[in-house]
Amino acid sequence: MSPSKKDNMLYVGIDLGTSRSVVSASNGNRQWVDSYVGWPKDFVARKMLGKRVLFGSEALEHRLALHLTRPLRNGVITEGTERDEAAVHELIDHLVELAGAGPDDELCIAVGVPAEALKVNKIAIRNAVARHAKKLMVVSEPFSVAYGLGALDNTMIIDIGAGTVDFCIMHGTVPTEEDQRSILMAGDYLDEQLLKLLTEKHPEADFSLNTVRKFKEKHGFVGDSKRRIKIEAPVDGKFTEFDVTNEMRKACESSMPAIVETAIDLIASFDPEFQENVRNNIIVAGGGSQISGLENYLDEALKQFGPCKITCITDPLYAGADGGLQLAMDMPEEFLEKL
Amino acid sequence: MSRHTEIKQKVLRGVFEDNAGIPRSFHGKGRSRDAPVARPSTRTHVYRRAALVFVLGLVTLLGINFRLVRVDGTGPVAMQVATMPPLQFPTLPPGLLAGSTEEPATGPERLADGQSVRAAAHPVSPTGQYDAMLARLGIPVADLFNLEIQTIVIDPGHGGIDPGATGHGGLEEKDVVLDIAKRLRDKLVRSGHYRVLLTREDDRKVFLKERVAFAKENHADLFISIHINSLPDGAGNYNYVETYYFGPHADRRALELAEQENRDSDYRMADFRQVIARIGDTLKTEESKQLAGSIHDHLYGSLRHRVPGLLDAGSKAGPFVVLLGVEVPSVLVEVSCISNPAEETRLGTPAYRDHVADYLMAGITGYLEQRTNRRSIERGLTQNVAEQER
Repeated sequence: MSPSKKDNMLYVGIDLGTSRSVVSASNGNRQWVDSYVGWPKDFVARKMLGKRVLFGSEALEHRLALHLTRPLRNGVITEGTERDEAAVHELIDHLVELAGAGPDDELCIAVGVPAEALKVNKIAIRNAVARHAKKLMVVSEPFSVAYGLGALDNTMIIDIGAGTVDFCIMHGTVPTEEDQRSILMAGDYLDEQLLKLLTEKHPEADFSLNTVRKFKEKHGFVGDSKRRIKIEAPVDGKFTEFDVTNEMRKACESSMPAIVETAIDLIASFDPEFQENVRNNIIVAGGGSQISGLENYLDEALKQFGPCKITCITDPLYAGADGGLQLAMDMPEEFLEKL
Repeated sequence: MSRHTEIKQKVLRGVFEDNAGIPRSFHGKGRSRDAPVARPSTRTHVYRRAALVFVLGLVTLLGINFRLVRVDGTGPVAMQVATMPPLQFPTLPPGLLAGSTEEPATGPERLADGQSVRAAAHPVSPTGQYDAMLARLGIPVADLFNLEIQTIVIDPGHGGIDPGATGHGGLEEKDVVLDIAKRLRDKLVRSGHYRVLLTREDDRKVFLKERVAFAKENHADLFISIHINSLPDGAGNYNYVETYYFGPHADRRALELAEQENRDSDYRMADFRQVIARIGDTLKTEESKQLAGSIHDHLYGSLRHRVPGLLDAGSKAGPFVVLLGVEVPSVLVEVSCISNPAEETRLGTPAYRDHVADYLMAGITGYLEQRTNRRSIERGLTQNVAEQER
């Protein structure tokens, strides 16, 4: 379908994530940013940084000079405080800017939020985006992924994000609440588990949640591995090497029983004939899908309930935003007019 | 058309239906790209006129004379009851009332404002007819009249010399519910859709009668009373959520059409209070039940992830004076049990109370979204489906 039903309409897909937020636009722009927002603490910091507000890795880098916030927790606005809401507005402004809309462009935006996002947050996010959008849709994140992959029937999407793991069964319609589940044992939970395990085993070392997250993103794995994972962390100011293979596996596997149980529980709630089709078409998305060995691990665990096929997608970072973009572009004009 | 294309179209229509039901705020900080402010379309004006005609027709049908008073050249339309001649209820087609077994009414019916009306001699009770119609159609009264929610009154229980329940650590119900109520008020106000009032803003005693009067005086469209439960010593450390509502309750196409034609009517629930006095119990009960269900589901469904061992006592009808007195959809929610020491600790933290307020708001907005979705899905979209199927 043509990306421009109207000449000046820019179609945009946004994935508002706990860890990273991503935008994909019909003009070809695809960008992502760590979901951090920071304001300079005082006029000295403002002068030094030369900016009113900083985002992502730049904000993290200058965190000591900033009032730093990660406004999205579990994929929805944290705590509902004024600062978090303002941060979400800033983040969305930034994402829209990254989309590269021209001054005369009208925006048609599809935003993905976690499957079981509270309605109030869905509305809050909608209101934050509505300032920019001529047309706006808010959809569940796993649905957005499914739409982008064209997996609209007999498919289960498991979207392992930082804040939530979202499960969604597609059966030829927009998934309802019964078709979706969310659990909180996602990336952030794994980081906390890993930090706890490392701190217990090496109390002398100085691990932070941020560095632990980076270790996990680089070396995370489940199941058997012959590779030893060694990392460096400061001990009394001196960097020392530690073998963290067992702790890494234990942390990464800590959410697997809940993921398997939820997947089975959701599949079991459908007609038995339908269950086999779904088991043979399970797609794992989100940053967590890149954990080494995940496909085999889930395959082994789920095949106890019958034959199954697990596929981890190759571009998890952009899958949600790309799906949103596709959705916005495909939406018939007759419906867009009424949105 | 291939199956995939067919599914895709179905899915796109579903996304549209979902999003057509989410309200937008009109009180944003501003529009960075000068996006046009939403204005009612010409079609909307047509619907509104049609709604007005229908409402007048219905009012005439019910035998109540109304005078439409435009407050000013541009302001809302207010409705006032003029003179009240005896009601003449129409005879409905026999097929519509097949399920009605109501006995004839014998005494006068009384409107909310105290004016009495008499039912015309008729073999079937008019109230019974109307109730039967609504029951058979399964259409909520609020949908039929497309009533808008504008004013929400939140009632933090107890206060002043009445502390309500007290935890073992000394935390008092009156303080907890006031804080939750204020947080809920702020969140609802920030959404930009509602006028939100509290029956008390500080630590003072407010009698139940005063709370009810406050809701009436301020034309409340929804009334939510917040409380914290407590179990006596020796009853165990149970912790549970329960929600109460005030309770007991036409040719289908004709009323569906009526509902459709009432779309986008700007009338508020409070404006309709007198009109619906005859069917008020139906409206109040069914809407209160749905509101209670939504609040309860969101509150318990979310809290149980945070609170180990939290039990679900359900949403149910209950004889609470404050609910009986208020004339609009009203619920009383018992958030949790302060007699449980762990729960008392949680209730003592601002973050937890903020979460409770979030979940209550989710319940309220969930209920309002359900209403909006009911209407949008049952309307023009069915036409689209029919056209596409042809």
